[in-house]
Amino acid sequence: MRRNRWGTAAAAVAAAIAIAGCGRAADEGGTAARTTEATAQDALALDPTTPPATGDVDAITWATYRPVQTIDPIQAFDYPDNTAVTLLCESLLRQHPDGSIGDGLATASHPDDTTLVLEIKEGATFWDGSPVTAEDAVYSLKRNMDERLAGFYGSVFARVESIEATGEREVTIRLEQPDTWLEGELSQMPGVVVQKAYAERQGKRFGTPAGGTMCTGAMKLDAWTGGDALVAVRNDDYWGERPSSVGRVELRGVPDDANLTNGLLTGEIDGTYLAGPLATADQLKASGEVTLYEGPSYATDALVVSAAEGPLADVRVRQALSKAIDRRAYIASAYKGTALLPRTLANPGTWGYGRDVFQADWDRLPEPELDVEAGRRLVEGAGATGQTITIGMTEEIPNLATVAQVVRTAAEAIGLKVKLKAVSAANYINFFVDPKAWSSVDAFPTVNYPDYADPAAFYATFALPGGSQNYSGYENPRVTELLEEARTTADPQRRAELVAEAGDVLAEELPWIPIVAPATVLIMSNEITGAPASFSYMGAPWADTIGAKG
Amino acid sequence: MVAFVLRRLALLVVALLVSSFVIFAGLQLAPGDPLAALSGGRSLPPEALEALRAQYRLDDPFLVQYGNWLVHAVQGDLGQSIAQRHDVATIIGERIGVTAQLVALAAVIILVAGVGLGVLAGLRRGPVDAAVLVVTTLLAAIPSFVAAIVLMSVFAVQLGWFPAVGAGDGFADRLHHLVLPAIALAASALAIVARVTRASVREELEREHVETAVSRGLPRRLVLRRHVLRNAAIPIATVSGITILSLIALSAVVERAFGINGLGATLVQAAAAKDLALVQGISLVLVAAFVVGNTLVDLVYAVLDPRVTVGSRAA
Repeated sequence: MRRNRWGTAAAAVAAAIAIAGCGRAADEGGTAARTTEATAQDALALDPTTPPATGDVDAITWATYRPVQTIDPIQAFDYPDNTAVTLLCESLLRQHPDGSIGDGLATASHPDDTTLVLEIKEGATFWDGSPVTAEDAVYSLKRNMDERLAGFYGSVFARVESIEATGEREVTIRLEQPDTWLEGELSQMPGVVVQKAYAERQGKRFGTPAGGTMCTGAMKLDAWTGGDALVAVRNDDYWGERPSSVGRVELRGVPDDANLTNGLLTGEIDGTYLAGPLATADQLKASGEVTLYEGPSYATDALVVSAAEGPLADVRVRQALSKAIDRRAYIASAYKGTALLPRTLANPGTWGYGRDVFQADWDRLPEPELDVEAGRRLVEGAGATGQTITIGMTEEIPNLATVAQVVRTAAEAIGLKVKLKAVSAANYINFFVDPKAWSSVDAFPTVNYPDYADPAAFYATFALPGGSQNYSGYENPRVTELLEEARTTADPQRRAELVAEAGDVLAEELPWIPIVAPATVLIMSNEITGAPASFSYMGAPWADTIGAKG
Repeated sequence: MVAFVLRRLALLVVALLVSSFVIFAGLQLAPGDPLAALSGGRSLPPEALEALRAQYRLDDPFLVQYGNWLVHAVQGDLGQSIAQRHDVATIIGERIGVTAQLVALAAVIILVAGVGLGVLAGLRRGPVDAAVLVVTTLLAAIPSFVAAIVLMSVFAVQLGWFPAVGAGDGFADRLHHLVLPAIALAASALAIVARVTRASVREELEREHVETAVSRGLPRRLVLRRHVLRNAAIPIATVSGITILSLIALSAVVERAFGINGLGATLVQAAAAKDLALVQGISLVLVAAFVVGNTLVDLVYAVLDPRVTVGSRAA
């Protein structure tokens, strides 16, 4: 699949030189032309799928922003590693492209509200042909909770009392109190089933290039050179309904945007899910070689407020800052239009249940409008005019640097002084994990997402006391009550109402300030189709439906 | 000769020891957390971080960590990469080939084209000389990442003659993949070598013994070979050696631009992620390559000029 085209490539190259030359992927939001009206309402109707494949395709090369580092599901926590696990493995439950959760390797039932029974489907087998047993499933789930394995999802099982094999293919999970969130997690990395015998045999090497993995998916691991390409081939004995329509997938880390662009233009790379905005998106779109699909995303581009005191601890100042952010310009310049104005902190792509409830709530809420004057008055009212806020940022991640500048422009416009605290890209994570780092600043930008499609899964991390990302110690008893009730409410409509109400309060009080709600951007060669266009690829198979375009 | 080799070996050991300590200390002092690379910028649960810290002994004092590393390294165990969850030695083994091939191909280009153009320009005054000067000025001014982008856009994207991504498999495919990266890598070094060659050829041409030889009617070919090129060879070898050795480090830029998984690209990635063991391992390979390369250049002097005894560097 090799093609040539002169004009578009020249434009792409010019853009690529611009990136390479100055290390910035996007114009600064404040100065950008407002070319596109943000198409908020259209964006809500984003299609989570791409047209189905009409035939098989032999082999494709798929890019991730860096090489795959692990295929152990309990430590898969970032785009490339999740993409590799979902290429190969399957979870007990499955999140569909539209965010709904259904049967996966198993069927779930609830004898009572503190018992979850998972019946593994008859005929389900690993790549080596051996049947998936309840013992494999229990082993896989418990790996998450084994502290020696240092898995990243242990807290997901906080309400679990016991996990037992209660039959050849039956797993019973008993809960200390009802927990609807657990099922969401079981459709993602924490619910992936690996073969017990294989994992035990590999020991510490399991999930690494030296040890590989043994899963159940429609594609099986063929070769993996650490830090380089991971190759999966069709599992001809796949137990599920239909075999993969793609014969071979090579996952390749392509960290350089110019290289990614050229690879897509020459056909050496057949597709990718973008992990962040791509400066050459417009050129790729215009090239006619590839198609850009925008699908629902779980991610929110937001400003984390970590200040427990000072101006940003005052809700009026947060509201003022939110009013002064020029979101439309930022969407046009950085995201090339592939994001929408956020009315809540959660992206509409997270509405995995109770869609109509969330939709009605969204329609009621106002679209965030640029109103610097109102912001200035709010800051005056709070007596914060002339006070200084410190924003943590890094120049090395263009998108975060741009957001920091956008926020700075907004804050200065409403009478605040701004200090930027720049750190290296590698150190940026410290704002999220080191109390010293996050308390040294008042706020820092992030693109953040919940594990599965549920606004509550996102809110809980920063709006509940003790939440993993609640840096400012935000607490609102009403929000806590609503989210706790939602967690124990089985009825999805009722749960959506509770979560939506909590979302309304958070949209008002802004413990974090949403900047924009990006779309999932999937780029595929015009010769293939069939991959889901939504964020679901982070937790469920995405490659086996890819095939030839009719 | 034996003493020379022993001296060089001792130098190698000292260089490795010193650089390993400096690199280790530098990375320790640099702020950042090696575990950050595992998270993709979201918060990791503290329990897991603690377990990983214990597993990789990240909380040990600096000297203890270095001592541990050294004891293992001496026994041939370069440790584990935290980010890639793989043996450092294996990672290096999988990447050293492609980087060596890339640098070797670039070296061939530099020697053939650089020395060739330089000799040509040195011998032929006028338009040929002027053309070489213009071309080499241009090449010297182009940083390798720009050369990479331009070459890729013209020869990979538009003309489709060469691939744009990766390093290929098998000899022919590998060569096909490495041509553009090698040219991008060689371009500015080639210009420098051409310039130095031109200057030293000119200098030799104006020497008294050369003029005497010419005036005595010796064939031009013989004069050039015996008196001009032979004497010009030492400065050319010096500058070629240094520029080619510097390519080992420069290859990182080109490898990244062309999506090649070589030592350089891996080193950059590892340094950004504070992946200590991997940075150490690759750095030591590069230091060793530099020391060995320098030794080879010294040996070349002796071959070029019998008056030079091995180990004493010609002026």
